[in-house]
Amino acid sequence: MSAVREFVDPRKTLGQAITAIAEHDERIVVLSADSGNSSGFGPFKERYPDRYFEFGIQEHGTTGVASGLATTGRIPVFAAIAAFVTCRNFEAFRNDIAYMGQNVKVVGRNGGMTYSDLGPTHYSLEDYAIMRMLPGVVVLSPQDAGEIRAASRAMLAHDGPVYMRIGGPLIPDLFPEEPFTIGRGQLIRHGDRATVISTGPVTAATIDAVDSLRASGVAAELIGMPTVEPVDRDLIRDSALRTRRVITVEEHYVRGGLSAATAEAIADLGIPLNAIGLPHQHITTGTYPGLTERYGLDADALTRRLGELLS
Amino acid sequence: MTTVAELEAEATHARLLVLRMLRAGGSGHLGGALSCIDVITALYFRVLRTNPADPRWPGRDRFLLSAGHKAMAQYAVLARRGFFDASDLDSYGGLGSAFTGHPDMHKIPGVEANTGALGHGLPIACGMALGLRMDGRGGRVFTILGDGELPEGSNWEGASIAAHHRLDNLVAIVDINDLQISGRTADVMKMEPIADKFAAFGWSTISIDGNNMSQIVAALEQQPAPGQPTAILARTVKAKGLTELEDTAASHYWKPTAAQLLDAEAELHARLDSLGDLTGAHP
Repeated sequence: MSAVREFVDPRKTLGQAITAIAEHDERIVVLSADSGNSSGFGPFKERYPDRYFEFGIQEHGTTGVASGLATTGRIPVFAAIAAFVTCRNFEAFRNDIAYMGQNVKVVGRNGGMTYSDLGPTHYSLEDYAIMRMLPGVVVLSPQDAGEIRAASRAMLAHDGPVYMRIGGPLIPDLFPEEPFTIGRGQLIRHGDRATVISTGPVTAATIDAVDSLRASGVAAELIGMPTVEPVDRDLIRDSALRTRRVITVEEHYVRGGLSAATAEAIADLGIPLNAIGLPHQHITTGTYPGLTERYGLDADALTRRLGELLS
Repeated sequence: MTTVAELEAEATHARLLVLRMLRAGGSGHLGGALSCIDVITALYFRVLRTNPADPRWPGRDRFLLSAGHKAMAQYAVLARRGFFDASDLDSYGGLGSAFTGHPDMHKIPGVEANTGALGHGLPIACGMALGLRMDGRGGRVFTILGDGELPEGSNWEGASIAAHHRLDNLVAIVDINDLQISGRTADVMKMEPIADKFAAFGWSTISIDGNNMSQIVAALEQQPAPGQPTAILARTVKAKGLTELEDTAASHYWKPTAAQLLDAEAELHARLDSLGDLTGAHP
């Protein structure tokens, strides 16, 4: 297992990062659907009250407002519970942001099943899939706090629609903070037995699993893929051609998300792919560690599953 | 300043351009286009700060058609106003044409939003109004909603946003032609009293005959109530100007025969003659 890690709140990290960038870019405005404080934007609201707009609980309307504001040159950041800023407002995102090509940043927090006790209405296990279907939309899923900060900078520097998913529970710091390039993955571990590709905070458990396997003599390559759309096709293909085996890991349904993007990237290579994620069913409730264990996404379960696949 | 009589002639010329698009494309949303075309004519020829030579001029007012299927009306008026040549409309409905059943801001000069799915225009207009207020240049936003789209809940999200954020630079005109594809709006989904609903949300409301140019101009030129968005409830006639089709659900989407088109054009030319055509030849 890895050395002791520092744990941080992804939402506070996001809010602090955006607030810091906003100091140098007056175009940035923050929209809240009764969701700003709980998404980490309390400091932004305090510091830039004239650039913080509250709309109450209405995600379709707020998404339309974001589009309209963007047409006047503002860069709106709209953060709320992931399920509500992707599913509830999907047509507004599709038409008013994606089709209109507006420079709007939507952040879904408490993505995946991190709202473990609140149940499927509050889970977001199809957001990668539906967002990556919209032409021109970038989908980001940073893996640790430094990457949330760096991805926030990249997202705001990018001229176009971006959806970023973050979680809710504390997450460990995994990497030294580096500049974030949209569409680039990073090689986290070298290996030749398989290419394991992970996105989002579950990368922490995936690192532990890959390291455990390595200790037992199975060296898998691990790629972190914080951009789900567009994925780093070259990096995936180069690694897959060396290892001849690909396994994806994500806190998302095994359909439509990172696994699908990866499958599309290697479809012509004839290389087998296994997708680890949530089964295509309505997921149960409980504690978050309980759910990750139940659905095979904690370090122990991932170690076992990768071991089985690579035995 | 364009007079009311000139506006009436302009609106008739614009109606003829709608027929020109139908001649090119074969079919389209005629009824709603003709119910709101008088309002759109008044906006572009008398009310909006706009510059056809520089459609993206930052100091402009914004107009967006929430009821995007009425796009032929906007295309016709934009052409008359000089944003592009009327002959461009002859591509209407063709493969890859900029001029299609719903407007595209990236293809047509003067179009501000990609509407068509109903219930989207008002929230977008609220965002534009907020942004223009931040700019501090006095920019205003006008949008036309159809009465048939009012059941979409997002309109009422927009209605609450505009009132709460005191968007007095926002004017929503509701084109109440009383018909939608399935029949009378009151039978499909009763939304009256519409004025009372907007007033209850905190809007200032004005009710007019939306095909009466004097009333349209008076309403659009009324000073907004400070801190309140304005809703203009425009009672209109679907397919206004083409007697055979007026107030019929069948005019919602019209696929005319050649003979029907000729009759319609003849009626509008007769209307121009009766108006003394103050605006010059049909382009």
